[in-house]
Amino acid sequence: MRISVMSQMQRSFSIDLPSLIPLQLPSHEVKSTSLLKRYSQLLSPIEKDGVDQMRGDELKKNALLARTLVRTTISRYQTNKEVDPRSLMFKKNVYGKPEVDWQNCNNQPLHFNISHTDSLIACGVTVHVPVGIDVEDKERKIKHDVLAFAKRFYSADEVNVLATILDPEVQRKEFIKLWTLKEAYVKALGKGFSAAPFNTFTIQSMPGTEGAYNLCKTSEVTADPPEETKKCNGGWKFALFDLADSHYAAVCTEDDQANEGAPTKIIVRKTIPFVEDQLISERIFL
Amino acid sequence: MASLSTTSLSFKAPSIQSTRIYQVLHKASSFKSISFGRFQSSKRLRLQISCAAKPETVQKVGDIVREQLALSTDTALTAESKFSALGADSLDTVEIVMALEEKFDISVEETDAQNITTIQEAADLIEDLVQKKPAAQGS
Repeated sequence: MRISVMSQMQRSFSIDLPSLIPLQLPSHEVKSTSLLKRYSQLLSPIEKDGVDQMRGDELKKNALLARTLVRTTISRYQTNKEVDPRSLMFKKNVYGKPEVDWQNCNNQPLHFNISHTDSLIACGVTVHVPVGIDVEDKERKIKHDVLAFAKRFYSADEVNVLATILDPEVQRKEFIKLWTLKEAYVKALGKGFSAAPFNTFTIQSMPGTEGAYNLCKTSEVTADPPEETKKCNGGWKFALFDLADSHYAAVCTEDDQANEGAPTKIIVRKTIPFVEDQLISERIFL
Repeated sequence: MASLSTTSLSFKAPSIQSTRIYQVLHKASSFKSISFGRFQSSKRLRLQISCAAKPETVQKVGDIVREQLALSTDTALTAESKFSALGADSLDTVEIVMALEEKFDISVEETDAQNITTIQEAADLIEDLVQKKPAAQGS
């Protein structure tokens, strides 16, 4: 998997995995107006409208960089021919998840997902399996009490895990990590939030691993009294890691049935389209 | 939540007015003919009754959004302002919903929370929920 990330500093990290590629772009590193102009030439009219709708110059720039990252990332991973990033077309699935519209070429194996914060944009690309990615500033302050928030939105098991953390700073960070993992799952699923309300599933870390997580789905069995059953089998793989020392990134991919349970390789690259591209790390997640 | 705008109707026969309005409210969309007692209208009338959230509700929602997203005073907010266009991500939206729940003493379903995209939609949902609260709690 490759994850390309663009941060406001506009760093892009791409992560290469046999099935997943994240790229990062730090947005504040991109300042040149001629470069931004070049980027805007890649966008479709609809995308340009989307950029214009954003209220404020920083938000407009961020939106421009996000679309640029998606187009340049997908086109660089086409292996059979040179693809002009301008030529890519996009559509949304019935639930609103953005996808590439491959037009006449069906069964294209490439999937992507994007996430951004004020200072970082991440694009993950996978082959053959759906992907969801979410990045979050580690220092993001939650305006509400973290536990109250978790009780309201997270699953009971997740609340219990958070409740045992005494240091509020550590607790806040764990809360954010869980948020990114849960978001990544919902985005990978691609069916909207109502398909997977946050309190109906638990993501727990796998003991003895660093950054590996498991998904458990809670469902109520109609018995008397009603019971909750938990299913923690596979189907979805998770990875959580640091980006640029400033962000948490969570990636969720559907477990490829052909390689079920196989480790996932994540390669992180930092990119500024047309300017630079830098390998940051390669990691295997079990 | 659909947003509604108020329309006023004037009838020549004031005495039937209340009945007419009741009928109109009962059938929210269109109806083919209206009989006004003595007055027969063969025209097809399409009537849309809509009620917008009170301006003060919209204002309060705007204040909460402004605070959550740390918007500069330069950023003008209207009822139509989209959260995403203001830079809100899903975590912001959830925090906004929590703040609205606290401010208005209501409880928002998660699926409703995720479907709010503009200030107007938030205000409409709030008023709907406030109205549905048991009378004892007041508003």
